Amino acid sequence: MKRALVLATLLGLAPALYAQAPAAVASRTKTHVTTLASDAFEGRLSGSAGEQRASDYIISELQRVGAKPLPGQDGYRVPFEFTAGSRDGGSWVRLGGRVMQRFEQRADIQALSFSDNADVSDAPVVFAGYGIVVPDSQGFAYDSYATLDVKDKVVLVLRYFPEDAEAKTKGILSRYSDLRYKAMAARQHGARAILIVAGPNSPNAGEIVPMSFDTALAGSGIAAASISGAVADAMFATFGDPGKTLKAAQTALDDANPHAAGFEMPNVTVTIHTDVVREKKTGHNILAYLPASSGTTGVQKPWIGIGAHYDHLGRGEVGNSLAEKGDIGKVHHGADDNASGTSAVLALAESLASQPRKRNLLFQFWSGEELGLVGSSAYVAHPAVPLDQMAAYLNFDMVGRMQDNKLSVQATGSSPVWSRLVEQANISAGFDLQVQPDPYQPTDVASFNQASVPCINFFTGTHVDYHKPTDTADKINFEDLDRIVDFAAAIVKRLGDTPEAPTFTKVEQKTDTSGRAGVRIFTGTIPDYSTDVKGLLLSGVIGGGPAEQAGLQKGDVIVEIAGQTITNIYDYTYALDVLKIGQAAKVVYLRNGERRETMLTPAARK
Amino acid sequence: MRPLHLVVAIACAAVAQLGAAAVQNTSAGLQERDFLTRVRRLTVEGRRAGEGYYSPDGKRMVFQSERDPANPWYQIYTLDLTSGDVKRISPGIGKTTCAYFRPNSDQILFSSTHLDPKSKQLQDDELAFRASGQQRRYSWDYDPEMDIFALSEKTGSLTRLTTARGYDAESAYSPDGQWIVFTSMRDAYNRQLNATEKAALERDPSLFAEIYIMKADGSGQKRLTAEWGYDGGPFFTHDGTRIVWRHFDESGLYADIWTMKLDGTDQRQVTTFGSMSWSPFAHPSGEYFIFSSNKLGFENFELFIVDTAGTKEPVRVTYTDGFDSLPVFSPDGTQLSWTSTRGGGSEGQIFLAQWNHQKALEALRNAPPRTMNVRK
Ligand SMILES: [Zn+2]
Ligand SMILES: [Zn+2]
Repeated sequence: MKRALVLATLLGLAPALYAQAPAAVASRTKTHVTTLASDAFEGRLSGSAGEQRASDYIISELQRVGAKPLPGQDGYRVPFEFTAGSRDGGSWVRLGGRVMQRFEQRADIQALSFSDNADVSDAPVVFAGYGIVVPDSQGFAYDSYATLDVKDKVVLVLRYFPEDAEAKTKGILSRYSDLRYKAMAARQHGARAILIVAGPNSPNAGEIVPMSFDTALAGSGIAAASISGAVADAMFATFGDPGKTLKAAQTALDDANPHAAGFEMPNVTVTIHTDVVREKKTGHNILAYLPASSGTTGVQKPWIGIGAHYDHLGRGEVGNSLAEKGDIGKVHHGADDNASGTSAVLALAESLASQPRKRNLLFQFWSGEELGLVGSSAYVAHPAVPLDQMAAYLNFDMVGRMQDNKLSVQATGSSPVWSRLVEQANISAGFDLQVQPDPYQPTDVASFNQASVPCINFFTGTHVDYHKPTDTADKINFEDLDRIVDFAAAIVKRLGDTPEAPTFTKVEQKTDTSGRAGVRIFTGTIPDYSTDVKGLLLSGVIGGGPAEQAGLQKGDVIVEIAGQTITNIYDYTYALDVLKIGQAAKVVYLRNGERRETMLTPAARK
Repeated sequence: MRPLHLVVAIACAAVAQLGAAAVQNTSAGLQERDFLTRVRRLTVEGRRAGEGYYSPDGKRMVFQSERDPANPWYQIYTLDLTSGDVKRISPGIGKTTCAYFRPNSDQILFSSTHLDPKSKQLQDDELAFRASGQQRRYSWDYDPEMDIFALSEKTGSLTRLTTARGYDAESAYSPDGQWIVFTSMRDAYNRQLNATEKAALERDPSLFAEIYIMKADGSGQKRLTAEWGYDGGPFFTHDGTRIVWRHFDESGLYADIWTMKLDGTDQRQVTTFGSMSWSPFAHPSGEYFIFSSNKLGFENFELFIVDTAGTKEPVRVTYTDGFDSLPVFSPDGTQLSWTSTRGGGSEGQIFLAQWNHQKALEALRNAPPRTMNVRK
């Protein structure tokens, strides 16, 4: 499971949650999970030898049950290229004009991961405040560029968003303060480069922005770099005015008054060289199919997709490892994430192979999921089976840790067929189902929703070992994993036997997460993603973190923070944006149905 | 629908602290899994579902659900608990509620407004309203056109059992299938009301709800209760000798569980729980009732059990936030089915779990004697 929300990093220590079920006598998934999650597969990082080994295993299992490569395809593997990592290859900045100073240490300048590799010579500089442009549609006028001419110039902007704005304003501004979004705004105004500095009033003041992981294959059309407070100070020093400092400039903007403007920096020019080295690698999706048993005449959309990502985090070198200090660099076994889902698909292939079927079954194993749904996105961009021939797609991501009979079915809003099929199949399966209609899930099901294919995801919930080396096969609940396979097989059977194809329903995305600054606040809460309670249910709190200090615990449901009502995880992330680090905020929560209050003091996240 | 003061009540802030302040640990050390195991969800489709009642052989269930694309309100469905097949049995026009299988027969009763000539129009208006993206707060309007019907599953014929103006619903058969106990608001329409009563009817017709009994063919309709306040949700006990129901006070905020003989005599109050306690149902053993109460939080309904004589304090059964109500036992007493919001969202769906009868008996034995909760 790829938790695209930055919230993934909120997960951490918590008391052991899983209940270990006795392994079934002849589990159909145990061997698969145990093999794929073993040390030899080295965490199955996309593009690595571990991925290769895992794909060999999957292909040999597919061959064993008689699933074949797609007609016209050269074998089971479908390669795709991606950026496996990026580093700064030697960016530097030289100030000209009244000062002549060159900075080339990584502590002073570093390209942003999405920067173009470019050279800008002796360009004038404009300080553009926070560099935020709120779209007109938001009904809140804020445009850092309103009074500035930045064409062919370099803009210097502050990281984050105005620090002292009232909560509601912050909520809006934070959505448009993502660095990519700021770079795009600068480019659209004709700037040649954007330099980012974390102002003295902000968290991580004066520090360089770490090189973030970015799977994009190329730059975003503008030179973009982060500079230290020292470099910015050197630029401000050219004013020769002790009242005109970065701190003063930031403070003037911090109440978010939309009329406070940036200004030109007349005495300085900059020459910038940005250099991002992107390491390209090749990942492999695996495709195989079982043909319909008696032709597909009269059957609408004669394909059903069944898939899971088989990649994981390797040794945590890229992506979202949450390894504890002592475990950093160890193999991330990914037994639940997602050897469990991979095994469910293999077991489904085996059990469906022997049954008559009216549709072709397409088995899809994704790589690059942990890097941002890269494999499934590449697939839907160049599908081997036309997407309008796909009746439906079923996805499995983290299905090996069932507790208390609870199974989440997600993305059911993508078609009216799901609630009916799920209800019927569950009469004999007997799960305590949590139904989440939202198809915008942080896993490969989202790629198919985007491609207008009715889709569904199965999920048994997050846990303390999520994205850690300790996600191992001995903690998998095989008995219930096998039950999920049977449940899904019943759904596939009914889908496959109905000549009419399900209709697709487009669900509006609840929140636009594209331009978000991300959560910079640390509260130490571990949200439970698997349920839809009204509020934010905690599956745990991080030891010693602010939430634990505030007395919050597993099972509490947060319903209000700093006066803002919380009804879902999106409300929660936005509420976090407007909290102030070090400033206690009132939290209202439910414990066993009883309404309680506490004060929580958020800390800073790097 | 068997309850439904709820919405009115929740809007009334004056009592909002009632539950939380009155928390009383009646079941120290117990948890949901002591009573319920293998919790599973029975209904998924549609906006909401509820009031699932078992067939006498325990192999099917009849329930109400808003899942018909052409009808915005509850319709009645049967569910085969082996195959999972679901079938609509109500006419598809108007509102329906409160179905029940008739023992030793092929009949299923339910209440419906389909004979109201305005039904189709009202239904289309509501669909258009919802299509416009608007939403009403959930409310049950005690439609005076609601009457009780019995459907023959074999022939498909629908027999009208009540004709009086006023809401007739919340009905159940006796164990021998010969009698029907039900709730009616006909008292608001069958006589001249004085000014106070007229005002009350405007405000809340359910104040006029009383318990009635009739023969299974609709004959011999007889009123059993007389108290002002919503009397409703009646069922026979499994030996058929008594009726269990809930009685609301005039405020509509407090309700308790009562029993009486079939002729309306010997009325006994089983709970004095100082909260909204309703939807009682008898365990086939005859040892206890299960019911729902907001004792622990005004919007947090949990299930409780209480001995049939009401000598003890009720024992808490569910421990999940939100709505847990409308419980029924399977005919053999080994399963519990109820309506809950535990599956996510704010709308109820039907759940089912294995029921631990021995644990229930033990917990009731250990429960403290009943206290008379004083209303605040
Ligand atoms: Zn995953
Ligand atoms: Zn993952």
